[in-house]
Amino acid sequence: MKKNKLAIALAAAMTVALMGSCAGTGDPTTSGGASGGSTFDTTQAVHVYTREAGSGTRSAFTELVGLEEEDADGNTTDLTTEEAATANNTQVMMTSIASDPYAIGYISLGSLSDEVKAVSIDGVAPTADNVKSGNYAISRPFNIATNGEAQGLAKDFIDFILSQEGQNIITEEGYISVVDNATAFQSTLPEGSIVVGGSSSVSPVMEKLAEAYEALNANANIDVMTTDSTAGMNNTMEGTYDIGMASRELKESETASLTGIQIAQDGIAVIVNNQNTVENLTMAQVKDIYTGTATAWNNVA
Amino acid sequence: MKQRFRETLFQIIFLIAATASIAAVLLICLFLFVNGVPAMAEIGLGDFLLGTKWAPQNSPPSYGILPMIVGSLYVTAGAIIIGVPIGIFSAVFMARFCPKKLYKILKPAVDLLAGIPSIIYGFFGLVVIVPFIRNTFGGMGTSILAASILLGIMILPTIIGISEAAIRAVPDSYYEGALALGATHERAVFFSVLPAAKSGILASVVLGIGRAIGETMAVVMVVGNQTRIPDSILKGVRTLTTNIVTEMSYATDLHREALIATGVVLFVFILIINLCFSLIKRKEGSK
Repeated sequence: MKKNKLAIALAAAMTVALMGSCAGTGDPTTSGGASGGSTFDTTQAVHVYTREAGSGTRSAFTELVGLEEEDADGNTTDLTTEEAATANNTQVMMTSIASDPYAIGYISLGSLSDEVKAVSIDGVAPTADNVKSGNYAISRPFNIATNGEAQGLAKDFIDFILSQEGQNIITEEGYISVVDNATAFQSTLPEGSIVVGGSSSVSPVMEKLAEAYEALNANANIDVMTTDSTAGMNNTMEGTYDIGMASRELKESETASLTGIQIAQDGIAVIVNNQNTVENLTMAQVKDIYTGTATAWNNVA
Repeated sequence: MKQRFRETLFQIIFLIAATASIAAVLLICLFLFVNGVPAMAEIGLGDFLLGTKWAPQNSPPSYGILPMIVGSLYVTAGAIIIGVPIGIFSAVFMARFCPKKLYKILKPAVDLLAGIPSIIYGFFGLVVIVPFIRNTFGGMGTSILAASILLGIMILPTIIGISEAAIRAVPDSYYEGALALGATHERAVFFSVLPAAKSGILASVVLGIGRAIGETMAVVMVVGNQTRIPDSILKGVRTLTTNIVTEMSYATDLHREALIATGVVLFVFILIINLCFSLIKRKEGSK
């Protein structure tokens, strides 16, 4: 009988101890312990978080920060340090950064919340306005282009993208709308089918737009082809695509024959824990952190 | 006549139901090998299995999964080290030492542990185990250790359930015989009953390994997913399963096929584990 009581008491004690430790570590603000606490220790190592290979956010980030190295043969290498932990979605990225005082990561600007702190890049804060104006460095425009003036279905679809409904879809997908005073969409219901092709960064949101448009206009058929920005522009010039997509500014050689329209702006926020004292990083410092050159916070603070 | 017809009809229905699972296994095998083997051939079997660099976005890309194989083995080994002793001792306690009142709480608790979705385990690991490791041992927290602890907990129901059944299946004469020879209760359990239940317990461990090596959603959140061979248990790794789940959504062409080929490697691991399990079972049956 004595043994039984002992066992029950032991189990109860273990449960209490476990719950105690959960409560202690679950809340980032009270989890002081050996390394955390309210004082931010800049000698600590930077904990680098990245996204998985193939993710649109990752490819935009590596491209804009300059983590992609191209050699003379056109071979490209992703320079992201092998020590970077991979978060396979935005939510895991947010939770990781919110709970790790020494972490750094990046997310699409549309997903940013006050769980984490977004640092300024080269002194420019990652706000929607700064992204829209192009002052914030880790951002890029989403452009579409047509060969000459768009006609018929292509024109109606572009009107839809630039309308209130279309821009709402763009905002929902986490991008920054660039059209001020967008108006409600009035379809002229043209029949036919068109091909939209180009940048793999633009195509996910374009798929959504095409789907929504086809729901409004049953006579239309829009094919979205995924290649890359340059192929998108070249194929549009040749007439293979009716509308081309590019996740960059159009080059002069391209604007000579193409009419470009910006449909959205994509911005990526570099995020750190709320306890982190770092407010601003230069583009070079972000690159050093992600290539593994800068390994402690006092290398960049 | 009508009776006869009904019986045949239902026999056929049962037969179809029974073959459904076999058909599913065969189809999965077929899918994996048809999609995975050509990719292995294209990458080169040596480069694929022994390559240490995984960089599908580079051009030319590298598809080496040795870090993932090593990662899976490390994490599984860690789970076994943590889960097996706790599991077996729990089973012994529940079968031979537990007061009835406590058993009524303990048994449903263990069963509940088996029913918790793995994504919940993953979140638990991410908000409790990972910060705990980071604050106690330093490093990023997402590590082999975190995944091992989490998997150690996740394989407990498998190990406890099967081990307990194996211990209970040992005839009482073993226990009574030991007592008759003057052994204490503890001695009788540990030196007479437990060895007799050996093969059942071993089977539970093998099934636990199978569960640990195949677990995906919980592991992906706490393991860090770095594609390099780690030099410490506080460093992160990528396992075979998490390699597939992190990259599958965006992968195209050879990258996608390489991920399916990763699945083939995982499948071969699981086959080996199941083979071990049936060998142990057969040995037990022939005794």
